[in-house]
Amino acid sequence: MRLSKVSSLLPPYRRGKRIEVTIDGKKADAYEGELVSTVLLAEGVSIFARKHATGRPSGVYCGMGVCYECLVTIHGVSNIRACQTFVADQMVINTAGQAGR
Amino acid sequence: MDDIELAVVGAGPAGIEAATAAALAGVNVALIDSSPKPGGQFFHQMPDPFECDDDSPHHAKGRQLLQRLESTGVHLLRDTLAWGIFEGPKPGTWCLTLHGPDVPPRLNVRAVILATGAFDRSIPFPGWDLPGVMTAGAAQRMIKNQRMLPGKRAILTGTGPLQLSAAAHLVDAGVEVVAVCESAPELLRRGIPHLLALLGQWERMREGLSYLRTLAGAGVPYRLGWAVTSARGGDRVSEATMAKLDRSGRPIRKSEIAEAVDTIVVGYGLTPSTELCRLLECELEFNRPRGGFVPRRNERLETPVPGIYAVGDGAGVGGAVMAMIEGRIAGQSAAVQLGRIPERVAVEGISREQAALRREQRFSRMLGDLFSPPAGLYALATPDTVICRCEQVTLAQIREAISYGAQSVSDVKNLVRTGMGNCQGRTCGSIVAHMLAMETGRTMEDVMYFNVRPPVHPLPLGVIEEYNEAAGASDQGRAMP
Repeated sequence: MRLSKVSSLLPPYRRGKRIEVTIDGKKADAYEGELVSTVLLAEGVSIFARKHATGRPSGVYCGMGVCYECLVTIHGVSNIRACQTFVADQMVINTAGQAGR
Repeated sequence: MDDIELAVVGAGPAGIEAATAAALAGVNVALIDSSPKPGGQFFHQMPDPFECDDDSPHHAKGRQLLQRLESTGVHLLRDTLAWGIFEGPKPGTWCLTLHGPDVPPRLNVRAVILATGAFDRSIPFPGWDLPGVMTAGAAQRMIKNQRMLPGKRAILTGTGPLQLSAAAHLVDAGVEVVAVCESAPELLRRGIPHLLALLGQWERMREGLSYLRTLAGAGVPYRLGWAVTSARGGDRVSEATMAKLDRSGRPIRKSEIAEAVDTIVVGYGLTPSTELCRLLECELEFNRPRGGFVPRRNERLETPVPGIYAVGDGAGVGGAVMAMIEGRIAGQSAAVQLGRIPERVAVEGISREQAALRREQRFSRMLGDLFSPPAGLYALATPDTVICRCEQVTLAQIREAISYGAQSVSDVKNLVRTGMGNCQGRTCGSIVAHMLAMETGRTMEDVMYFNVRPPVHPLPLGVIEEYNEAAGASDQGRAMP
């Protein structure tokens, strides 16, 4: 969810240009400067990946590129850290949680 | 790039100050940072497409540091990962292997300042690997730099000022926070021996108090001596249980309270990023208040490996002010070592910084003492709790390794693969060490830390190939060992 209320701790801001991405085959709005990880959360996606060994779901955990829990597929390239990747117009993002959505 | 003498790894507060100080003394410096913008986590800037008129003193300080850095002519290598460090072609030189846009695959230098920072530490509880459970740093960055809410209804568990700050930002952003569980009990009484350390720290005290006021204003309970002890959910966390802790940090079961939440924020302090130090087989010592295993250093912040300095949170968690002082000390010391300024000229500036450092150390000791997570928390995990998330190794499997005679974390790794996945043991390393120490009655120095091998982050195989080609094409290089 994008922050809408006026914050008393943070200065006012404006998002980047509105763009369009495709998440698991569904179109979604996003804004330049947003990360793939936060766009997915804003779209209600919590499962980014599933563990090979057990099938357990994983999502955003460290948010700084350390833990590799948020790996998604972008334009067909797998194992991209969602928290370290900015969205771009017409980006095609696939998660492992498709069945659950 | 051929005449670079000093490489500084990490452009957070420590690295910026180290690079600036060395460059001002006439050293030719490369500052390597894995992010698109310098500043580290502390001076993290919003992405360029966002417009933000930030007139806060914090932002102004960051801008001033970066402007000064720019004016010194330091070569800033952005988006660049220093994935290995080796002995260089000539005696007394070091070779950093790099991956990034428009950077050479290898950089040979005469000295290196490691300013690699720290990352959030968790302590596992049943359900901690569910989506919706995230670190305090992750939640904080999501709100501050992306202006996104991590969820609707959250609970926090952890210790120290960073989780307090994350809590205040969540509340302020409109997330319903059901409680902030601070594992440290009775802060006031335990703080008395440290009163002296508070002298001159009013600014930080004010910041902490303002966060507490934000929580109080929203009616959010700040529970001292409490922790989240388990989480449940399907595709995402849906419920958390918190409990009061006994003196050892173990939960008192009859105090348990369950709350419906979609987000759990975990922040048990920070772990120093010591991978490059460990690649050099630099001796580390266990220092609990500084966040775990940290490199040994002399008063000039040089490690036992000649020409390798370590500064900031990556050399022992102490916060940004301390990191900046350490950066300036190491930057000037490296300039002396490289013959750019005579010792007698540098000594006055360095000793002034060292006095400031001692003041900061008092404050950081207080934080370390008050907010070290109690050992009993490591008993929250149950046999089927996943400890190594990458390789999906459970506590039961770690216990099995112990029953086979594992004595060190490396033994456990060899037997059950903890730390062999993508994160290379960053997330589970200190957890496995604590659990092994607890279950076998050994010390942290006995159980040690995971060995590191290059590359220190996963890389496409083609990059290693490029590196070897470059090494083969030049007479001064070596193929990767």
